Formats: sequence, structure tokens, C-alpha cells
Amino acid sequence: MFRQIADRAFLPTKSVLEEVGDMMILTGKTIVSALRPPYPYGGEFVSQFLFALRLCWFPLLVSTVAFGYGAPGLQAANFLVLFGALDRLGGFFVLASIREFAPFVVAIVLAGVAGTAITADLGARKIREELDALQVLGVDPVKNLVVPRFLALMVVTGLFDVYALLFGIFGGILATLVNGAPLGPFWATFFTNASVTDLWGSLVKCTLFGAIIAIVCCYKGMTASGGAAGVGRAVNQAVVIAFLGVFAFNYVFTQTLLATHPEITVIK
Amino acid sequence: MGWLAVPKDWISTFGEIAKFCGKIVGQVYGLRVFRFFGEALRQCGILILSSTLVIWGLVFIIGLQCGIEGAYFTRSVGAPAYSGVFAAWCDLRELVPYAFGYMMAAKVGTGIVAELGSMRISDEIDALEVMGINSVTFLCATRLLAAWMVLPFMYIAAIGAGFFASYLAVVQQIGDVSSGGFFLIFWMFQNPPDMLFSMMKAMVMATGIVLVGCYYGYNASGGPVGVGTATAKSMVLNIVFVHLIGMLGTQLFWGANPRAPIGG
Repeated sequence: MFRQIADRAFLPTKSVLEEVGDMMILTGKTIVSALRPPYPYGGEFVSQFLFALRLCWFPLLVSTVAFGYGAPGLQAANFLVLFGALDRLGGFFVLASIREFAPFVVAIVLAGVAGTAITADLGARKIREELDALQVLGVDPVKNLVVPRFLALMVVTGLFDVYALLFGIFGGILATLVNGAPLGPFWATFFTNASVTDLWGSLVKCTLFGAIIAIVCCYKGMTASGGAAGVGRAVNQAVVIAFLGVFAFNYVFTQTLLATHPEITVIK
Repeated sequence: MGWLAVPKDWISTFGEIAKFCGKIVGQVYGLRVFRFFGEALRQCGILILSSTLVIWGLVFIIGLQCGIEGAYFTRSVGAPAYSGVFAAWCDLRELVPYAFGYMMAAKVGTGIVAELGSMRISDEIDALEVMGINSVTFLCATRLLAAWMVLPFMYIAAIGAGFFASYLAVVQQIGDVSSGGFFLIFWMFQNPPDMLFSMMKAMVMATGIVLVGCYYGYNASGGPVGVGTATAKSMVLNIVFVHLIGMLGTQLFWGANPRAPIGG
């Protein structure tokens, strides 16, 4: 009886830990095989980069403008208008957009759009035994399939972060205009409060989000099993794990950045 | 053809989805779904057992995030006692609905696509029709009813998880404000209508996600690869939908009235 209860509690925990360990091993393998010559993944890298760009640009545009206008834009503007300090919205957008929501909206959209497509693609290849066939032919799937996706997603999330910043701030501009205020004070407080530390923090964070998404989605795709239901299930699990991983990492990273760089929190 | 092909394709897909959703909602409101009430209850059970913890987990992490941002921001303006304002608005009005929507899309939405899609691929849906069971009612309407029965309660508990996380982050972790001071301001800046609005946002998101999931799963085609592709496609639509509802909800509920206890 105790044995049964223990099994019920420990087996899921054990399988979760095993999965996390497998993902870590895949990360290590990917980094090693990305650095060690030969480098056959150039073409695949470019095609994956363009693939992610093509899939994500429009959902990301809509999402960032909507998020920027709704959450930090309208709510903060509401609050500031009560004090007659709407010009401070620009300064608030440094905190809201650069530090917080631009990276995580990019991560959500990339995980949901490009990550799911990667898992579906690799999962289908696994189910049709193409990955095994590649191995038989002496082609390393990690080097030829995972490494280009890993690098492409890291680069693309880093670049998309800037894109999301621009459109997130556009949401803030919309909120300012809706309140009938001029844009000059918005830009003035925005640029006095913006710091280089904020920007590189945002870019590093977003690039690492890309790495998390790529590893989780590739791992789930390459271990899919069980026919038609299996690929769908793999995509489902990949998105869930990627979201949780991204947000857990976001918390740790933001907390560390804020605590180690007190100068960026000073309001100017 | 040319550049018009893409938007035309979008509009026709949107029309198909709207038609399909109308059918499902009609069957729930027409009470035909109660012929399969047992199946709806089974779906409720699956929803509770498989998705609740993950959704609460994501909301909890986001609550922590709101807490630290609020604590550092109010510290920098020299009013750390007021981090409750930031936490209350950030949690209740914006990020708990968003986090709920994200996780609903990721866990429940894609789950439905994967499940229904594999039933479609292995011809189980056709088998249901042959047996004389209306497959839309049995598979899709029951899932919608189950979502409507379970999610309001799950959402209220998720708000609680977010609040608890913000409290932990602001009071226990950063510690610039006492717990009494935090809660005084925290509860001052929200009231039951705010929670109702927040819940309406989340329920619209959840309904849309379940319907989109049903559409893409029910109409999946093209073998195992097709199920994966359909799952990925449903996620794109759901993410855009969640963000649009978040924005429209904010504009509708709080756009003209900040609902803050400040000024006369």
C-alpha cells in the first residue's frame, strides 16, 4: 500500500526530472556540436530563420501593439491622468516595455507560432522514421536539424525583441494620443529614463528565451511517439513546458538584473 | 491571385470558423448538449485533473513578476508603501487574464486539437456519425459546456494564486512594506466589479480558445503530420485572439473610467 502511494507520487516527479535532465543533455550536445567543425548547417539555418520571420511577424505585430496599448498604456495612463502627470507614461514604458513585456510577448508568440511549427515538423519526421533513416545514413540529427533551429531561434528572438519594443511603444503612443496629450513629453521622459543596461538586459533575456524555446520544442519533436495522436500531444506538451520555462527564467533573470543594477530603477 | 490571395484566404477561414462556432454555441444554448451530459461531466473531470495545476502555476509565476516589478518601481518613486496599487492593477486587471489565456491556449486549446485531430485521422469521428451520434454535439459542444462549468471557479482560484504570489514577492521577498500596509492599499484599489470584468475577459478568451481548438481538431486532415500542423495553426490564432481580447476588454471596462479611489 505504501509502495503504491509512493509510486503514485514519485513516478511522475521522476519522469519530470528525467525529462529536464534529457533537455539539459540536449542543450549541451547542441552547443558542443554547434562549435565543433564541420559546419554543415548554414543553409538550414537561413531557411529556418526566414521561416520563423515569415510566420511570426504579423502575429507579433498585432500582439505587441494590443498589449502595449491595453496593459501598460491604458491602465498606467488612467492612473497618471488622475495626478495630471501623463508625461510620465514615457518613463513608465521603459519599465513596462523594455524590461518586461517586449521580451515575454516575443517569447509567447515565438513559442506559440514558430516553436509549435518546429515540434510538428520534427515530430512528423520522427513518426515517419526519417530521423532514424538520417542516422543510418551517418547524418547527425542534432548537428543538422537541432543546431540550425537553435541558432536561428536565438537570433530571431533577439532581433524580434527590438521589433516588439518599437511596436509596444507605438501602443503607448496610441494611449497618449487617445488621452489627447502631446507626444513630446512622452518621448522626453522615455529617453531620459531609458538606459543601455535596460536594453542589453532585454536583448540577452530575449535571446535566452529563444534558446529555451528551441531546445524544448526540438526535444519534444524528436521524442514524439505514438502515431497521429503522438505528434499533437508532443506539440501540446512542448508549448506548455516552453511557457513555464520562459516565465520561470524571466522571473529569475529580471530579479537578478533589478537587484544587481540598482541604477536602472532610478526615476530621472 | 497575387497579394490578395492571403487576406482572402484569412477571411474565408475566419468565416468557416465563425460558422462552425455558431453551430457549437447553438447546440449548447439549444440544450441539445444535455443529451450527452455524462460526457460533459467527464470532460470537466479531465479539465480539472490535467490543466488546473499548470494554469495556476503560470499565474503564480506571473504574480511574482508583477510583485517584483511593482516593488522596485514604487521604491524608485519613493513610495514603497504603495506597491499594492501596482500589484492590484497588474494582477487583477491585466496579467492574470493574459496568463490564464496563454495557458488555456497552450494546454487546453492545443490539447483539444491534438485529441480531436487524431480522432479525425483515425476515422473515429466518421464512426460516431455512422452510429447515429451527432459528432459536433458529442465532441465539441460537450467540451464547451465543460469549459463553462469549470473555468469560472478555476479562474477565481487562479486570481488567488496570483495575489498570493504578489504578496510573497512584495512583502516576504523585497520587504519594503509591511504586510498590513500592503494589503490596505491592495484591497483599496480593487472591488468586486473589477473582478467581474477581469473574469469576463478571461471567459471570453477561454470560450474562443475552446471553439478554435474544436474547429482545428474537427477539421484536421493529412495524416499524423496534419494533426501537428493543425495544432500549430490553432496556436497562432489563439495567441492573436488572446491579445486582442485583452486590449478590447481593457478599453471597454477601464478605458473611460480608471475605477481608482483617487480624487473626487
